[in-house]
Amino acid sequence: MEAGNDILVRMVGIHKWFGRVYALRGVDFEVRRGETVGLIGDNGAGKSTLIKILSGYHQADQGEIYFEGQKVKIRSPRDARNLGIETVYQEQALAPNLSIARNIFMGREPVKKFGLMDRKAMDEESMKALANLGLRLRSPELPVVTLSGGERQGVAIARALHFKAKLVILDEPTVALSVKEVEEVLEFVRQLQREKVSVVFITHNLYHAFDIAERFVVMARGLKMADVKKEETSPQGLSELVLKSAFVAV
Amino acid sequence: MQGNASYLKRFLLSRSTSVLLVLILIVIFFAVFSPEHRFVDPDNLRVLLSLGAEFSIIALGVGMLMICGEFDLSVGSILAFCSFIFLKLFELHLSLLFIAVITIVVGGLLGLLNALITVRAGIPSFITTLGTMMFWRGLTILLSGGEQTACDVSALNTPAASYFLSFFTGQIGKFLPVQFFWFAIFAIILGVLLHRHRFGNWVYATGDNKDAARAMGINTDWVKTVCFIVVGLLCGFVACAQIGRLACFTSRTGDGWELKAVAASVVGGTSLRGGMGNMFGIFLGATTISVIENGLVVLRIPYFWTYVFFGLVILLSVLSSMYIERKQMEMHR
Ligand SMILES: Nc1ncnc2c1ncn2[C@@H]1O[C@H](COP(=O)(O)OP(=O)(O)OP(=O)(O)O)[C@@H](O)[C@H]1O
Ligand SMILES: [Mg+2]
Repeated sequence: MEAGNDILVRMVGIHKWFGRVYALRGVDFEVRRGETVGLIGDNGAGKSTLIKILSGYHQADQGEIYFEGQKVKIRSPRDARNLGIETVYQEQALAPNLSIARNIFMGREPVKKFGLMDRKAMDEESMKALANLGLRLRSPELPVVTLSGGERQGVAIARALHFKAKLVILDEPTVALSVKEVEEVLEFVRQLQREKVSVVFITHNLYHAFDIAERFVVMARGLKMADVKKEETSPQGLSELVLKSAFVAV
Repeated sequence: MQGNASYLKRFLLSRSTSVLLVLILIVIFFAVFSPEHRFVDPDNLRVLLSLGAEFSIIALGVGMLMICGEFDLSVGSILAFCSFIFLKLFELHLSLLFIAVITIVVGGLLGLLNALITVRAGIPSFITTLGTMMFWRGLTILLSGGEQTACDVSALNTPAASYFLSFFTGQIGKFLPVQFFWFAIFAIILGVLLHRHRFGNWVYATGDNKDAARAMGINTDWVKTVCFIVVGLLCGFVACAQIGRLACFTSRTGDGWELKAVAASVVGGTSLRGGMGNMFGIFLGATTISVIENGLVVLRIPYFWTYVFFGLVILLSVLSSMYIERKQMEMHR
């Protein structure tokens, strides 16, 4: 296969049923190292389902996943995180009443003896991870609920960066954010790009997608409808693609 | 100076502080108004600390379970069933150590059963444990004929019996009932687990946002199962202590404890939605409930007033905690 080893992850022929809902009907999807892919499409197209299979939240009914050239089975979020796949979910993957530090290390707490948490390390490391993103928060002990929407996404992204993710998936990270906060989040993503992390960015806002991504995958009703490079299109072009895909008869 | 002021403010606005203040006020009230100040009589304090600790030990487990977002309404029934198991094994003249271990294990198994039904079938634990509450209570009454039966460990007059009694119902020094010591020990163990151990972080995360916890690789079903089992084990432990103290089995034991335990947790600042609360608060909440119950008896107020009082304390504590949470949010901004 040409350029086989600069492909980080490849999903082949993915099918997924939810009871009688045929959510994915044989989707191929790949992401190169250091590449940012914009995953777009109408509501219910199957975008979240596709990436939740990648992040171990759902399992495909059929299809294969290759990570760094190896065939892998991702059976749980833990498997995905062990591979280096981190997800920032549409429905935020943060516990609002827990502190920033406890959120960043959720499920992977640094421990001393007997499984007791190293809280000093947690506090220091989380402040460092946030500073890496250019985010300065007052204290690692603040509950996440007291942060702004943009800062919360920052916490989730800092978590991904801290654990040396190779692929970060962002599922509508800018939904329900103010204009200023959106710009903040896009800046976080640029930081990921500078660190050569691969990114999958799902959004309904084609201008955000166009701004941040190098390649676009358009989905509709469980199928991949188009796969275009940034040079070959424009925000208007993407918008037409999404509309056309949604209305094309299958 | 700024720093000191904010520490003071934080201290005053902390949930546990306000529970502690309320507890102190209630204690002073009972001390002053009980006839001949009988509330603070050493004999009464001993009764309070031993009897109250039995309920309070179970409330600790219920509180932790509530933090991970689940309820257990079956605690009183598990307690009764465990006591019944104890009685039956005792009648077989088995070794006391064996009886105690089996009783505690049975408690753990009933907790496991609650967990399996809740987690596997996806039934809200409020419903699951409502069912098992009726089931185990009914079964206990059915099998025991609903009667009180003598179960006097001290009558054995063996060294094992005296070890058993000093372990579960003895005294530390000249005054402190050992039950209260166990209550404190369990509170410390669960407190360390909840606040210092990584498992505690999983408990909070599970209760606060189960989907997030799952997405971060936490096995939330397993976390809940452990919390249910802990409650069951504590019920088994208390069954041993209670039979040791009463020297008899009654099928009505623990009646009404399920809601008292929820009340204790809520008074101690635990959220009914999960994800919020702390062990020190639950400790104080459980103590408050025990103190009220005992204090009203000492005041010779008819028992039914207890519930009127509980109701008031619960409502006041929920209102004050809402107020405190709002203030805290303002402080963070
Ligand atoms: N857990 C689930 N159980 C049942 N059906 C589901 C589940 N998750 C998704 N679906 C269905 O699968 C289809 C694809 O949903 P998905 O969430 O992947 O779409 P999406 O492209 O992310 O849409 P949106 O842009 O609205 O987030 C929809 O019809 C949805 O109703
Ligand atoms: Mg979606």
